[in-house]
Amino acid sequence: MTIDFSFLARYQDALLMGLGMTLRLTLIAFALGIVWGFVLALLRNSSIAPVRWIAAVYVEFFRGTPVLIQIFWIFYCMPIFLGTDLSNFTAAVLCLTLYGGAIMSETFRAGMKSIGREQYDACHALGLSPWTRATRIVLPQATLRSVPVLLSNGIGIFKESSLVSAIGMMELMFIGTTISNRTGRPVEVFTAVALIYFVVAFPLTRLVTWLEKRILKRFAI
Amino acid sequence: MTEIQPLVEMRGVHKNYGTLQVLSGIDLEMWPGDRLVVIGPSGGGKSTLLRIMMGLEDIRRGEIDLLGKRYITGHEQSGKTRIDSTLRKQVGMVFQHYTLFPHLTIISNLTLAAIKTRGMPKPAALDKGMQLLKRLGLESKAQSYPSQLSGGQKQRVAIARALMLDPRLMLFDEVTSALDPELVAEVEAVMLELAEQQMPMMLVTHDMWFAKNIASRVIFCAGGVVVEDGPPEQVLGDPVNPRTREFIERVFHIKT
Repeated sequence: MTIDFSFLARYQDALLMGLGMTLRLTLIAFALGIVWGFVLALLRNSSIAPVRWIAAVYVEFFRGTPVLIQIFWIFYCMPIFLGTDLSNFTAAVLCLTLYGGAIMSETFRAGMKSIGREQYDACHALGLSPWTRATRIVLPQATLRSVPVLLSNGIGIFKESSLVSAIGMMELMFIGTTISNRTGRPVEVFTAVALIYFVVAFPLTRLVTWLEKRILKRFAI
Repeated sequence: MTEIQPLVEMRGVHKNYGTLQVLSGIDLEMWPGDRLVVIGPSGGGKSTLLRIMMGLEDIRRGEIDLLGKRYITGHEQSGKTRIDSTLRKQVGMVFQHYTLFPHLTIISNLTLAAIKTRGMPKPAALDKGMQLLKRLGLESKAQSYPSQLSGGQKQRVAIARALMLDPRLMLFDEVTSALDPELVAEVEAVMLELAEQQMPMMLVTHDMWFAKNIASRVIFCAGGVVVEDGPPEQVLGDPVNPRTREFIERVFHIKT
């Protein structure tokens, strides 16, 4: 068997289109997931115990089950309860958001937890109100600390998004599988697809490292 | 002659962390202009005493007056501690580890509380902050972040941040303990300047030489009570109580 990548040139447009869809899904789910994750983190710190419990169960459920099953459940099972069909795009965004939110709520929570007791003492000694303390001291520091990890979470969503090919989303993985089936050359196709994912993710992981250092140096937090 | 009232009056202050009794009945009066240095073995409740004065800790029993008014009351039955938040604004505190806000510039560290809790207009707060920084020789650092400052500079900023709110009583909790030796003097100089201006203060320090310089009064705390209380020459130089004597001898011996 000979390895020859040249035939892939014919599928360049299709692959780029797939990558475009993957990026679109990732960005939407990432943006919505940050908001949802932040809300979840607040709910998990709520002073009302049942609210905390429900949020915790939610997060643990999404962290503790395979994303593929979550996708199937949302696409095939949820419409039965809702009484209306979801498009595969809506289901894909919904699933990646719900999953990403669960992951990122943990990131926010860690960021909030890592703010030392001494910072709270200082707020107290200065007589800052709980609201000022939350919005001016805790939130900005928690967010700054969370930024690199949130980006890592975003890269995670980018990779997990390949799973939505299972419900027929025409993103990079789906296009790759289709080309492989049509040409019967999985080695070249899946190697190329893997490389495309890597080329996008690698600079981002570098960016995360750089940001971590920079935030550490600038703010020493 | 008008009657002078004590600045602080503590009566029977008890504090425990779980089963650990930290303060077992502190009675203490502090007069205007007093610079009270608290010394004693670690675990003797020195820092706890300051944290209580700042309203950072509950007390189990006892009461504290500030400026002639009831400031803190410990209710043993209900387990609750009442703290008067208006009086608390009269107290400022500086901590061992600076506790500046790392994400804010130096000038914002100074102005945040003045603007948010005292309703000071922003230009006035900035003006006051810059004046304080100038006084401490730190005006060039106004736009820097805490991480760009040395430990001594950070601690001076922390003092300035407390002074922004015009406290009637300053608390210094081992403020030079975390500093490199060569940075201690610049922080102590600021405190000595405050002492000259008759700022009432309560300090915990392990530096006996500094204690001797700044104190108008020294108390020796051990086992959760005030063992000895008097002018620095007496408590540090010629203590009456054998426990104090033993402690002083040990500490000064290590120093020399």
